[in-house]
Amino acid sequence: MTNMNLYSRGDRAFVILNMVLIGLFTISTLYPFIYIGSLSLSSGFEARAGNVILTPVGFTLEAYKRVLAEPLFWASYKNTFIYTIGGTLMSLAFIIPGAYALSRPQLYGRRFWNLMVAFTMWFHAGMIPFFLNMRDLGLLDSYFGIIIGFAVNGFNIILLRNFFEGIPQSFEEAARMDGASEFQVLWKVYMPLSKPAIATVALFCIVSRWNGFFWAMVLLQDESKIPLQVYLRKVIAELSDDEEFANSLMTAAYSFETVSAAIMVCSIIPILLIYPFLQKYFSKGILLGGVKE
Amino acid sequence: MAGVSLTGIVKAYGAHRVVHGIDLEVQEKEFVVLVGPSGCGKSTTLRMIAGLEEISDGDLKIDGRNVNRVAPKDRDVAMVFQNYALYPHLNVADNIAFGLRIRKESKEKIAASVKEVSGILGLTDYLDRRPADLSGGQRQRVAMGRAIVRQPKVFLFDEPLSNLDAKLRTQMRAEIKRLHKRLGATSIYVTHDQVEAMTLADRIVVMHDGRIEQIGTPMDLFLNPANTFVASFLGSPPMNMVRARIEAGETAPVAEFGGQRVTLQPLPALRDAVGQEVTLGIRPEFVTLADESVADRVRLEVDIVETLGSEALIHAVLQGEPFVIRTETVGQKTVLDTVSGFTIAPHLIRVFDAKTGQALPGQVMTQ
Amino acid sequence: MSSDPNVTGPRTETLVADASEALRRRKGSRVQRVGDHLKRDWQLYVMLIPTILWLLIFLYKPMYGLQIAFKDYSIFRGVAGSPWVGLEHFQTLFGNEQFLRALKNTVIISFYSLIFGFPMPILLALMFNEILHQTFKKTAQTIVYLPHFISSVIIAGIVITAFSPSAGIVNTVLEWFGVDPVYFLTRPEWFRPIFVGTSIWQEAGFQSIVYLAAIAGVSPTLYESAVVDGASRWQMMWKITIPSILPTIIIMLIIRIGNMLEVSFEMIILLYQPATYQTADVVNTFIYRQGIQGGQYDLAAAAGLFNAGVAFVLVMTANTIAKRYSRTSLW
Repeated sequence: MTNMNLYSRGDRAFVILNMVLIGLFTISTLYPFIYIGSLSLSSGFEARAGNVILTPVGFTLEAYKRVLAEPLFWASYKNTFIYTIGGTLMSLAFIIPGAYALSRPQLYGRRFWNLMVAFTMWFHAGMIPFFLNMRDLGLLDSYFGIIIGFAVNGFNIILLRNFFEGIPQSFEEAARMDGASEFQVLWKVYMPLSKPAIATVALFCIVSRWNGFFWAMVLLQDESKIPLQVYLRKVIAELSDDEEFANSLMTAAYSFETVSAAIMVCSIIPILLIYPFLQKYFSKGILLGGVKE
Repeated sequence: MAGVSLTGIVKAYGAHRVVHGIDLEVQEKEFVVLVGPSGCGKSTTLRMIAGLEEISDGDLKIDGRNVNRVAPKDRDVAMVFQNYALYPHLNVADNIAFGLRIRKESKEKIAASVKEVSGILGLTDYLDRRPADLSGGQRQRVAMGRAIVRQPKVFLFDEPLSNLDAKLRTQMRAEIKRLHKRLGATSIYVTHDQVEAMTLADRIVVMHDGRIEQIGTPMDLFLNPANTFVASFLGSPPMNMVRARIEAGETAPVAEFGGQRVTLQPLPALRDAVGQEVTLGIRPEFVTLADESVADRVRLEVDIVETLGSEALIHAVLQGEPFVIRTETVGQKTVLDTVSGFTIAPHLIRVFDAKTGQALPGQVMTQ
Repeated sequence: MSSDPNVTGPRTETLVADASEALRRRKGSRVQRVGDHLKRDWQLYVMLIPTILWLLIFLYKPMYGLQIAFKDYSIFRGVAGSPWVGLEHFQTLFGNEQFLRALKNTVIISFYSLIFGFPMPILLALMFNEILHQTFKKTAQTIVYLPHFISSVIIAGIVITAFSPSAGIVNTVLEWFGVDPVYFLTRPEWFRPIFVGTSIWQEAGFQSIVYLAAIAGVSPTLYESAVVDGASRWQMMWKITIPSILPTIIIMLIIRIGNMLEVSFEMIILLYQPATYQTADVVNTFIYRQGIQGGQYDLAAAAGLFNAGVAFVLVMTANTIAKRYSRTSLW
């Protein structure tokens, strides 16, 4: 089916038009990132003047120098790593055993527990009660609060639970007959069998932690604890809301645009680094060979 | 090694019963096959013995000890699953060793056991492979190796061959038989395949709708099925069933159907049944072909003759119902071409009550 | 051979003991059953408890806290101690022009997102499916999935930069055509198009995965037989692919309508300014300003309860319909 010569003329036109359209959409997706990248490498003057279109104009690393010289940038970068790693580990520590238990048919009251999880996806108390609850728990302005407060979410539990349910029951039964405890069944059988699903959930956690903004902004007043996204927002908001202030900051070497672009690039890079790794797990097949259906 | 004893074993989901009180004694070293159509409760029974399903009522004893509420791991049984349940992330050696590792056996002992078992099963060259890189038969062997290595009191098999193709199934069937001979382990084997049941079992348990229909040696069940269900379930092609009525004959009772008659055994139960509606069970193998020259033949309309080499299947119609005859081909060319009926010795006909389907008492055939 | 089908070996000696054992088992069955389960499956409960506790503390306790929507909440008296005021906050809300405006904006923005945002991933998936050049396809997919993984702060940063009146690329291009610079983000009439367009740009590619998976599930023999019948690619798309993925499309549409009120307010907070509140302010941003920034917790909680209530009804309705449609639950 891949031989173009087998196609009629109409089909060929259709295929080519389709390719062009997809190409355009892809370029339009890619372009903003190239634009930001080029902006971050251009001189402040050219950026301000709107001369950056595709490639850097007046190439300079001044914007990065300015960003990297900022202690708050480093602090927020470090914080983001703490929230991402700590938060993801915390999430997995809750979600994997929880999802496994919920996936077992022999769990007493299974329907009720599952409903309890699902209900949180249908109904949420909302921003204010959640905020007040965090405050009452003394979790404002705390690393631990951010890490624990968002550890579990219904969607991830259900995703993993469904995956566990899809693993033939006989794996658990065989392990149990071999004398394995439930912990051993989970640790030695189900977790190795679920690597792709666990990686997927871990990826969701990592991405949402890395990108988390709103609650970090709301719950953290202490500047030394804010993550990168909140820091970035502060920079953009301060400078874009105050045109004069932004102008006053401008030097020929860097401007508000190039500096904020540089921070954005610094924030995107880690996501780009794990991106291929994530893609692999998205597409990887799940149960290989051990079970015939 | 030890026996397994089931007394009044019931499995119910709420008010819905799927196994209705099963009684079964499996002797030490015996190979017992539970056979029946799907949904007959055979797998559920096996899983109750394994401890994977709760027993709703009744008593289960392994080696004389009540194990109703004993966890599977403490029952000292091993099970071979239909889908093998081999861990895809472990190689063959680790799969076999899994149970021993869980039980914290010493490294030396594990290594020795794995070596021994893989030797028995011919897996020595594949120990480093993952299940995905094995053939169906090899996976099947690994699954058995995992059970054997623990040296349990009882082996349980849950349709272990149903995922294999026909040729491999025959081969593995022989292998299981050989293994059982060698290890002499008490085994309970579930299958829906009557050929597997016939070839493997010391005793067969035929189940239907959550009840045991009959228990006996393969030949006993084949020759003396207790009822029409067992009769039609075992044997291939299945036993022919002919509706008839018993009449008094000169020396022995006869069965009459559509104007034709066959002589039955002179048994008291059959004499007493004169006038009764019955079902005649006639094995396809038990009849002698007859052509026009045989006057007292049972006449039937021959539809097609399937020649399978050494034997042939004759598909015919008797009383508007299909009737199959299985016969040898060698030296039968003329008869096969002109067959128009059959004769049968009285003791080869099994008579069932038409209403209850139960065999009339007193009919016993020996090999 | 006996005619009794259930014959087994002798068992009289165990009969008495068995009977009393069976009797004991039947007594007090329910309590004992739970006890048995706990004893047998305690490890599962150990695994489950942390998650359940977390849900209780972080999600269910706030539901209890929702009662402040009916109370005159004061920080010092706490949730339980504050006096009841009935529906006062709801009356206030529905007399509040800002809230009504936010409600209207929520509906309008949701509606635009649905109309323009829903078909896009389907279109993309269909188009991806028609691409034969595998490398091109993989590369394009890799790129269009990417924005989904980028934070809204950065996406908003890109939008702010690109639409900036002085330096932004958009105004630069407009200038080429002799159009005067427009300060897009301060213009109410531009907010919704920019917001909806940004969401589509960010999510359409990633959302197409669902449809691509559905397309991958279509049996290749259908296409092969169509080729033999002389169908064109275009015909195959209309006669085979689209009908085959229609169930997925309908389910996704139902889910989407169920989640309509879930406007990504984070992005709105990042993009709006007082000048565009008129078209940009949605219920959640209203709650944020009144509650978190303004400290009117009870009023904001009432608005949140209203929002969550409507969303709940929508989601449950959607789930019921989808269940009936697909005969499988969404969750």
